[in-house]
Amino acid sequence: MKIPISIKINGREYNVEVKSNELLLNVLREKFGLLGAKYGCGIGECGACTVLLNGRAILSCLTLAVSVNGQEITTIEGLSDGSKLHPLQESFIEEGAIQCGFCTPGMILSAKALIDEKPEPTNNEIKEAIRGNVCRCTGYVNIITAIKAGAKKIKRSEK
Amino acid sequence: MNDTKYIGIEFNYYRPESLKAVLEKLKEDGSKILAGGTDLLVRIKTDMEKPKNIVEITGVKELSVLETNNELIIGAVVKLFEIEKNDTIRKMYPSLYEAVKSIGGKQIRNMATLTGNLCNASPGADSAPPLIVLGANVEIKTLNEKSEIARRLIPLEDFFTGPGKTILGAKEILTKVIVPKPQENTGSAFKKIARVNLDISKISCAVFLERKERVIKEIRIAVGAAAATPVRAYQTEKALTGKEYDLTKIQKNLALIESDISPITDVRSTAEYRKEVAPILLKDTLKLAWERAGGEVLI
Ligand SMILES: Cc1cc2nc3c(=O)[nH]c(=O)nc-3n(C[C@@H](O)[C@@H](O)[C@H](O)COP(=O)(O)OP(=O)(O)OC[C@H]3O[C@@H](n4cnc5c(N)ncnc54)[C@H](O)[C@@H]3O)c2cc1C
Ligand code: FES
Ligand code: FES
Repeated sequence: MKIPISIKINGREYNVEVKSNELLLNVLREKFGLLGAKYGCGIGECGACTVLLNGRAILSCLTLAVSVNGQEITTIEGLSDGSKLHPLQESFIEEGAIQCGFCTPGMILSAKALIDEKPEPTNNEIKEAIRGNVCRCTGYVNIITAIKAGAKKIKRSEK
Repeated sequence: MNDTKYIGIEFNYYRPESLKAVLEKLKEDGSKILAGGTDLLVRIKTDMEKPKNIVEITGVKELSVLETNNELIIGAVVKLFEIEKNDTIRKMYPSLYEAVKSIGGKQIRNMATLTGNLCNASPGADSAPPLIVLGANVEIKTLNEKSEIARRLIPLEDFFTGPGKTILGAKEILTKVIVPKPQENTGSAFKKIARVNLDISKISCAVFLERKERVIKEIRIAVGAAAATPVRAYQTEKALTGKEYDLTKIQKNLALIESDISPITDVRSTAEYRKEVAPILLKDTLKLAWERAGGEVLI
């Protein structure tokens, strides 16, 4: 069964046809070439496929593409302003919060959703927000530091 | 290993905007309700479910009700994050808040519904024990022979019939969960033991009690992941009712919980561990509920 849907991805409106059993993750990667969201486990455990749906972090490996008809998706590709990185992307680099980078898009999007809601998150709030994002190489200390630093940068840039 | 990258089967997809249209679709064989998908899509990917029709219910407005004025009413498409964010629920139904907050990571709670957690009927579904002790009822709807919407109301406690099994027929939908307003001098709490916090429970416990001065006037206890369904601990409840709240004196009553449950050994834990830890978990949960009922804080 093919179904026409309209979705806004990173600020742009698209009309596409998807199959009823297609996952949002695969549509983003294969139809739109947006390779930031990763396939890790496919069953909700790792968070590598995290994207924002209307500003909230969700798992694109457990979301049918048809289900997001008429809604708004943000992927990691939507964060930078041309070649200017988003403050969270900068702080992840500066704080050494990336090694292989596989978890990073999901981590940063979870962090962005948190900071949009709570501009000055505590350590516990950060841990809570990235509880569903697994990192196998960096360890979480640098990631938490990077999220705090990113939140500060965002505040400063808004002043 | 299953390939969890793609969905291997084909199905039709519908997203009706009225309850009636949902119920009409459910009359077709092989139809399956989709809410947040955090259980259903995993089950489809791992070949445990092969629906012909997926009927997504998130488009039905009346199912998004969330009311806290008198009794608490939670519609079928209300997501866990909405419950977590609701101040009235956090204050008046802390056991439910604690259970919801303990489910999965943020992404899961942004997607999953409370009703889906109940309908999936895992013996360890974290939302079940608190809702059972709070005395929740569930509203179930279906179409009768005349194609009219028929409604029944069932105590949640009678809803579960086995692992993954409920009294729901294939043509029925759970439309809302209704929880009575707790009275004065009552308190409730939920605790679970899991490998890490976001994990599925090895065992969980919810307590609701009414305090009269220093006495446990009434108590309801429910345990998750310790039997084929979430269960009430009737013997323990009976032994604790009317007792003075003195943890050393009621120690042996708390131990009765071992005979109220019938745990198995599975990937998450052993039957022995579950039995061993149950009285301790109960004690911690009871303490919290007692304090919330205005009882003296004991260390
Ligand atoms: C990584 C991960 C971690 C998790 N951690 C926990 C945890 O710690 N504790 C816990 O309890 N659970 C946990 N879960 C499971 C939890 O996410 C689900 O039980 C969730 O609440 C189900 O809701 P849903 O909206 O996603 O349901 P769906 O997957 O959409 O539906 C679940 C089932 O219920 C049926 N259904 C849904 N709504 C209705 C309705 N209104 N009427 C009739 N049938 C209906 C569907 O047909 C399906 O069979 C976890 C899941 C994942 C993937
Ligand atoms: S790929 Fe989606 S959670 Fe792992
Ligand atoms: S940087 Fe490799 S998984 Fe996190």
